[in-house]
Amino acid sequence: MPDDETVKSHEFEARIARGEKIEPGDWMPDAYRAQLIRMIGQHAHSEVVGMLPEGAWLDMAPSLRRKQILIAKVQDEAGHGQYLYHAAETLGASRDEMTAALLAGKAKYSSVFNYPTLTWADVGMIGWLVDGAAIRNQLMLAQCSYGPYSRAMVRICSEETFHHKQGREMIIIYASGTPSQRHMAQDALDRWWWPALMMLGPHDADSPNTPQLVAWGIKTKTNDQVRQEFINEHVPELRAAGLRIPDPDMYQDANGDWRHGAIDWDEFWAVVRGNGQCNVERLAARQKAHDDGLWVREALDAFAAKQAAGEASL
Amino acid sequence: MSRWEVFKQDAAGKPHQAVGSVHAADPQHALVTAAHVFARRPAAHSLWVTRAAAIYSRTAEELAAESQAAGAPTEGQAPVSFEVFCKSTHRRSMTFVEHVATIEAATPAAALALAGAATSDDSRALAWWVVPTAAITASAPTDAASWFDPAKDKTYKQQALYGAAPSRAAKRGAG
Repeated sequence: MPDDETVKSHEFEARIARGEKIEPGDWMPDAYRAQLIRMIGQHAHSEVVGMLPEGAWLDMAPSLRRKQILIAKVQDEAGHGQYLYHAAETLGASRDEMTAALLAGKAKYSSVFNYPTLTWADVGMIGWLVDGAAIRNQLMLAQCSYGPYSRAMVRICSEETFHHKQGREMIIIYASGTPSQRHMAQDALDRWWWPALMMLGPHDADSPNTPQLVAWGIKTKTNDQVRQEFINEHVPELRAAGLRIPDPDMYQDANGDWRHGAIDWDEFWAVVRGNGQCNVERLAARQKAHDDGLWVREALDAFAAKQAAGEASL
Repeated sequence: MSRWEVFKQDAAGKPHQAVGSVHAADPQHALVTAAHVFARRPAAHSLWVTRAAAIYSRTAEELAAESQAAGAPTEGQAPVSFEVFCKSTHRRSMTFVEHVATIEAATPAAALALAGAATSDDSRALAWWVVPTAAITASAPTDAASWFDPAKDKTYKQQALYGAAPSRAAKRGAG
């Protein structure tokens, strides 16, 4: 006779198969909860750290319109971090623990944010490629079986589409501009193309967690499927803009899929393990923001305690 | 600081919907933070915040498991006002429960029982939140214009105002 846990597991999987959303308070396997906390935490950290590469250019935007757009985009990333920390909190994770894990280097964030933004065109290319890849991944996660994560993804995708379009608009203008503007756009593509492919994660054969995540409806597509969607969407548009994909082995197969050449996974894993160009700088910036904000958090708590004491004495 | 759940009303006459949470020290701080996190774009008409700890939350699965258990006796307790929120669809959405009723009851569980009876139509309720009305802080109607209207002018944040990607054919056509 099956034990209670086995019965619950079967009921849980049947719910997911019926397309139901799992909500806070519902029974879920411990491993489902743990995988979600890990994934959502990493995702939240990626949004927060993701403010840094582009934030570096806020003071150097070439026009007021571009500056307004970039401020709005960076502010959105901060908001997206909030949506995601919220989703993880509904699973029992605490904000303080997640922040501590990031600052201690125990929690990961997307490898792509450990690359430097060397020119203004990088801001546009990040919008077009990095946000473009993120949207592909997040549209998939919007179908996720866990209600709070799914809702955060729907909200983020609707806002991130603006990030993608402003970047594409900027790069298309530079790619049809002066020779130095065209060079700047191509140089940005040359440096961001491969990191954008890598950020969608290891090949399916090297993703041992994927089958279980798919069975639980946490992921609804594999890394390679999402990567292929990203490539098929972006290669024709980049080529139409007059840019060259920095992959001599790329070709279009009989199905119409654009097939990429070999990805340098040694580089990917080096960045994930902390040896990218900006890992140390990114964590130092987060640590400084956390330290600099301490007096604000203390003042807010002191004010709230005073208010509560006032109420109690009434 | 504590965690506050945020409810956003998109327009007058629409229900307040749960959109997510913020960390804040007091209700006013929670409202200001909620406006920055959840109302950067149109449209918002009003925000409510309440401490997450003040919410009585039950999913359909939890209620089914509890159905055998007798409800706690409520006789002798004075009724107070509760705001009741419900989720009734698995459809893709960016909001969770939405406001469905204000109910006088002695306990959140009793309010939920009354609300369930009051809304027993075909749509099966999937999740409920019950919050004492007194535990909710609302944005001031007089602040609505200054808090929410500026987002309408920031059209550069709206993806619909950017063009579609050019195709090679379109580029040729444009010369």
